[in-house]
Amino acid sequence: MLDAISTLSLLALLLGLGLGYAAIRYRVKGNPLIDQIDAILPQTQCGQCDFPGCRPYAEAIASGEVEINQCPPGGQEGVDALAELLGVETLPLNQVHGETKPKRVAVVDEKVCIGCTLCIQACPVDAFVGSSKVMTTVIAEECTGCDLCLPVCPVDCIDMVEIKPTFRTYVPDISELAHA
Amino acid sequence: MLKFKYNGGLKLENPYPVDAIDLIRIPLPDKVVLPMQQRIGNQAIPIVSVGERVLTGQIVATIDDQRCAPVHASISGTVVAIDEHVYAHKSGLKGLCVTIESDGKDEWVDTSIGCTEHYEACTANTIYNKIRVSGIVGMGGAGFPTHTKVRLAEGCHTLLVNATECEPGITCDAALMQAYPTKVIRGIEVLLHICQAERAIIAIEDDKQDAIAALNKFCNNENITIEVMPTKYTSGAEKLLLKSLLGIEVPTGKFASDVGVLCQNVATVVAMFDAVVENRPLISRAVTVAGSAVKESKNFQVRLGASYDYLLSFVDIVEGSHKISMNGLMMGIELDSTNYSVSKNTNCVFIDQLEESKPTKECIRCGLCNTVCPVDLLPQQLYWYSKSENIDKAIEYNLLDCIECNCCSYVCPSYIPLVDYYQYSKSLYKQQVKEKQQTESARERYEFRELRLERNKRERAEMMEAKKIALKEKMAKDKAHKATVEAALERVDAAKSAHGSQDDG
Ligand code: SF4
Ligand code: SF4
Ligand code: SF4
Ligand code: SF4
Repeated sequence: MLDAISTLSLLALLLGLGLGYAAIRYRVKGNPLIDQIDAILPQTQCGQCDFPGCRPYAEAIASGEVEINQCPPGGQEGVDALAELLGVETLPLNQVHGETKPKRVAVVDEKVCIGCTLCIQACPVDAFVGSSKVMTTVIAEECTGCDLCLPVCPVDCIDMVEIKPTFRTYVPDISELAHA
Repeated sequence: MLKFKYNGGLKLENPYPVDAIDLIRIPLPDKVVLPMQQRIGNQAIPIVSVGERVLTGQIVATIDDQRCAPVHASISGTVVAIDEHVYAHKSGLKGLCVTIESDGKDEWVDTSIGCTEHYEACTANTIYNKIRVSGIVGMGGAGFPTHTKVRLAEGCHTLLVNATECEPGITCDAALMQAYPTKVIRGIEVLLHICQAERAIIAIEDDKQDAIAALNKFCNNENITIEVMPTKYTSGAEKLLLKSLLGIEVPTGKFASDVGVLCQNVATVVAMFDAVVENRPLISRAVTVAGSAVKESKNFQVRLGASYDYLLSFVDIVEGSHKISMNGLMMGIELDSTNYSVSKNTNCVFIDQLEESKPTKECIRCGLCNTVCPVDLLPQQLYWYSKSENIDKAIEYNLLDCIECNCCSYVCPSYIPLVDYYQYSKSLYKQQVKEKQQTESARERYEFRELRLERNKRERAEMMEAKKIALKEKMAKDKAHKATVEAALERVDAAKSAHGSQDDG
């Protein structure tokens, strides 16, 4: 079983690398403004902005069809950065699209997973590895925490877990430092 | 004497002077708590289970990661727990530990197999491996796995042995050198054998006359020189040693190994000698116990995983409120209790009388901090940029070169904990870099997926189209076939009826 998974992930990785390279190499270089906007968007690819991903939202912003305050993962900081780029007044983040939440990653309960592969199809960044009838796992490093895999799971075995600080990622709190 | 100089640094008195330095062996502790997370890399995975009997020197946890070293049982006894404990770390985070209760026998694993004194017949690879499986990491504080460091320095020209002791008040390296001068010298010979450097330099400060004498007595290898340096705080920092002794500047983001020098702490050299020649893994170390609340500062050779409380039971402590810290007054960290255990890079435990804390004031731009920085940074600028989270600017001002020596905050008349700010901005920077990588990767993966979906759609459409055409062709063919058959049948019928009418007629 583990063998199968590692072989599959390796295969996926190799194919991904090759095709990913092709995707970048042969991408039709579009509008530089779209690229600049896309560079600010957080790439969570969650669709909360009502577009099927960050790039489509970037395209819509560039064409002036939509407001710049529809991306919750980007937070207020993101809205401000977009305003600065576009030279417009900033707006408060539109709460209709959701709140900014701390970053989380999907964890599959492998005991419950039935290997239906629905999540694999739902994930916008191909963060799942697995194949039909074999339990599925998430590559934590690649998961953007977009929540899109949650509703599709027929047995509710995906959990969104907040990322805990480790000895290596720990950031000291300077607000505690005394000041006169 | 120093051939070269560096700016800044501080002349600091030893706050806990003693008449004579001695390395005291203490009885076995009843219990040891061994942390699985070491300074670098991932957490080691226990390979023993609760209730299992283990021998001294047996591997209890290991990890398949070249940056890490395995963990060994430091006493013989029974594994009583594998659970989470708060580490002696700034973050106060918990990490996995293996707890062993002693059976008092100190029964060892078989230590007869290995290179022994015939190490010269062993290849460098065999010795690297021996160093790795013996669990040796840098014991000066950095905790970088020794086998990796040595391997990285392959082909170096100089081996630099750091015997300067990192900061005032810590005397464990001096005690070790006085107790085991031959191990130091022979350990250096082992290292010279594997890294093939032409020479070795032992860098030692002039306040360790007894240790210097001991080393001089046993050093009769002409490739090894003992370089006595004036005592000045942060001379012992790796890059500064290279600068002051060899006149070599190590560029930002590079290491000593990149300029052909292998740096090793003297305690690591001794541990390596034990591993390679005596086949003993790293299970104990020298620790200084001192402080203004400790009547007489002492050095103990203690098993790893022994608690600070156990160590402190061998010194007299003045009653009162105490400040507890480990690894030094300048670069160490303050702890909330003595409920921690000695790890591979614990070089001292200080118990000081609690002084009134000095209130932090605003920076008065006196510029004092700028004059003491040993690596020529501008601490005042770094402070402003770190405080305002202007990380890009801080990086531009070479934040990453800061060795966190605390010289700047030591002299700051406003008592600003400058290094806390630098650590904050450094970790923010690390976080930003990682986030950027992840965003980049998410973008690529998303675009790749879009491309794939589109391709799938196109392929499906093409396939459908092809099928449709095939079907049409088939239908046309079928139709044609049917038509031929029908025509033939018609002909037969016609012939038949013609015949029939003839017969009839
Ligand atoms: S809301 Fe989600 S999909 Fe939309 S731009 Fe923000 S991260 Fe991207
Ligand atoms: S694993 Fe789930 S939460 Fe994570 S990126 Fe994929 S769909 Fe989103
Ligand atoms: S802590 Fe950093 S900035 Fe301060 S003196 Fe030391 S190296 Fe310089
Ligand atoms: S020493 Fe302190 S007060 Fe003086 S410039 Fe530096 S940070 Fe400011």
